[in-house]
Amino acid sequence: MKTGLGIALAALLATGQAYAAGTTLNVGMASADAGKLDPHVATSTPDKGLLHWMFNGLVRIKPGEASPEFIEPDIASSWTTSDDGLTWVFSLRDDVECHGDYGKIDAEDVVYSLTRSANADISAFAKDYTAFDSVEATGPLEVTIKLKNKIPSLLGLLVPYHGGNIVCKDAVEALGDEYQRTPIGTGPFMFAEYQPQQYVKLVANPEYFRGEPKIKEIFYRYIPSDSSRDLAFQSGEVDMIYGKQEQTWVERIKEVPGTVVSVMTPGEMSVIHLNMKMPPLDDLRVRQAVAHAISRDAMVQFKGPDVTLAAISPVPEGNLGFTADVPTYEYSVEKAKALLAEAGHPDGVTIKAIHTTLPGMLTTMEAIQALLREASINLEIETVEHATFHEQIRKDMSQVTHYAAARFPVADVYLSQFYHSDAIVGTPTAVANFSHCSVADAEIEAARVEGDLQKQLEYWAEAQRKIMAEVCVVPIVQSMQLWAWKDTLDLGVEVKGSLNLSPPVTEAASFSQ
Amino acid sequence: MTAFVLKRLGFAAITLFAVLTIVFFIVRVLPGDPAMAILGDQASQSALEALRVRLGLDVPLYQQYFVFLGGVVVGDWGVSLVSGRPVIEEILKVLPATIELTVASLILGIVVGVPIGVWSAVRRNKLPDYLARIGSLLGLSFPAFVSAVLLLLFFSIHLRWFPVISSGQGSGLADRMRDLALPAINLGLIMAAYITRVTRSAMLEVLNQDYVRTARAKGLAFAIIVWRHCLRNALIPVVTVVGLYLGILIGNSVLTEIVFNRPGLGKLIVGALNQRDYTMLQGMMVIYTLIVVLVNLITDLTYGLIDPRIKYS
Repeated sequence: MKTGLGIALAALLATGQAYAAGTTLNVGMASADAGKLDPHVATSTPDKGLLHWMFNGLVRIKPGEASPEFIEPDIASSWTTSDDGLTWVFSLRDDVECHGDYGKIDAEDVVYSLTRSANADISAFAKDYTAFDSVEATGPLEVTIKLKNKIPSLLGLLVPYHGGNIVCKDAVEALGDEYQRTPIGTGPFMFAEYQPQQYVKLVANPEYFRGEPKIKEIFYRYIPSDSSRDLAFQSGEVDMIYGKQEQTWVERIKEVPGTVVSVMTPGEMSVIHLNMKMPPLDDLRVRQAVAHAISRDAMVQFKGPDVTLAAISPVPEGNLGFTADVPTYEYSVEKAKALLAEAGHPDGVTIKAIHTTLPGMLTTMEAIQALLREASINLEIETVEHATFHEQIRKDMSQVTHYAAARFPVADVYLSQFYHSDAIVGTPTAVANFSHCSVADAEIEAARVEGDLQKQLEYWAEAQRKIMAEVCVVPIVQSMQLWAWKDTLDLGVEVKGSLNLSPPVTEAASFSQ
Repeated sequence: MTAFVLKRLGFAAITLFAVLTIVFFIVRVLPGDPAMAILGDQASQSALEALRVRLGLDVPLYQQYFVFLGGVVVGDWGVSLVSGRPVIEEILKVLPATIELTVASLILGIVVGVPIGVWSAVRRNKLPDYLARIGSLLGLSFPAFVSAVLLLLFFSIHLRWFPVISSGQGSGLADRMRDLALPAINLGLIMAAYITRVTRSAMLEVLNQDYVRTARAKGLAFAIIVWRHCLRNALIPVVTVVGLYLGILIGNSVLTEIVFNRPGLGKLIVGALNQRDYTMLQGMMVIYTLIVVLVNLITDLTYGLIDPRIKYS
């Protein structure tokens, strides 16, 4: 009896070692389940991270990088642009196969994809394509895009990040609503299976135009508990995990033998928007005092030097168009107090912030509160549930708004969404201009249509200088994307960044053991 | 009996209707915009408006309510705002996993809790009683997520007997048992703690009854007195607690499913709450209400099986 039990237990436990190594990649993602797996609809980090490995664009950012300066051909083999920058002609590769039996990608598929991306009834990214006048198939493997006006980075809209993902027309039409559960792309990995709340399984695309991937299957596992994800990595059940944005997480996971920790761009930039329409922040001297009272170095130390960078400008470092040549406000409690006194507040001021209860953001705000207190600036924090926070700050109810965001890394995106007057909250065209900043409208608009890159960069730099001079915002820190994987996993590229927020698992990735 | 069941089912329908109405309105007064949850914070006002129209959130609340009620009646519980999949399909896919975990925990709780409770009562104020009381107190004091992490650290990381996460692969008995073991132990021990205390207290009361003294005086074996006569008479409060606790168990399964990464209603409801998935939340509430109503009905019927004197009228 005892022997029988022993054998049964051994057999039971042996199945625990069933995770195939060598060609199977197990990934642990911080999410309870998959969302809509349609690349033109998905907006969440977990969904985008998965779709990253299944789709291509006309162009792409070199794997391992996140900046648009590394844009290279993907489905398009080459392209030309007219002198006025309004007409772009793309020549397509002739060897790009859709997953399954949906045939080769041609110009019709590309036209269909970009038209779909611009359709507000379907796409979450339609507004990015409002400058598109037409997208036409001008040959079986040639696509012509005409723009109504110049935009800062057409190629940026064509990378497989948001709307730039190319879908297979026949697949989308054949599958209908099922497409968002059975995505068909052209990338190195193909959708194979979905188990609710468990995983999405991808398999290698043997017809991939850059070569068949060495990794044969990927299990993208949904593990919402941070501690369970870490323990699963420690036990070897997953090979790659999405990290927690904390210094302590990096320090702890580094201790697991054979671990590579990756700190990737683009970072999520935390800033403090100062509402210039609400007293006392309508006084420039008070805003300058706030800027002087916040020590970025202290904030970097507080958030963790391995996982954050000091933010200098309203545009994150690493974005196309970023400049560090902006007015800065050194940490000085004395200067802050002097400015307050000059503004008629010798005893200090009280300002109020509506803030989310999300712990990561709240602790940052509490640290800022402590710094401001030193300079007699009393920051009252009213905490509300996260969804309420988003609702109320968009109703222009907060004097001070702490906002953390990652965006496509071209300066225009941050500048337009946060600092152009069209984006002021509470207006019909509102996006996320919480400060009511409008000092750089002319430069932001000029940069959008400027064809000369140098001039465009100068416009963006000037916009950043004006915003900082006006103290519409106090940049705090950039929190980087954190991932860890086994050192036996070779991604085939040096990973510095990933626009899609997941490491580049391509045809080049393999296990060394 | 039939009349009793029908009457209870009628009450269940009324309860369900009341819960559905409350849930419908509570879900809609929750802060947050589902359109923004779906499109993200970069969406323009026009895109948000377009999505609200598509989701039917632009029509008056009473219209949404009647559409919702009609849907529930005909089995159309709508489509998840987040995944786009039918709510009923999403729930039915993971419901068996939650039922599996709950039933396994219940069995474990009864198998462990009842004997220890009896043992503790029989050995009142002796070492076994103290040990059982301290053990059950510990079981009640540990939050499910703490004991879950401790179990993982010991059995999965230190001993490497079980996986940290449910792999979700393989449908054989061994795979299922392996995936189920730690989560069931985690919930089962908490349940066992409750059952131990209730069984002990019920047994103490029964052990002082006259018929027990008479049975002992007649020279009946003590084991027979305890297990055949006393336990049966002490089971009514135990069944009541088990029935009541089953609802709590399903609630505790939320945390257990998250930590052990098991599929189930718990993960579904957490995801739905985070993303303001109205239709999914409504569907979940319908299911939870149905489960609680059903468990109460079964509990009531079980009383009659335990004590023949109980008549249903």
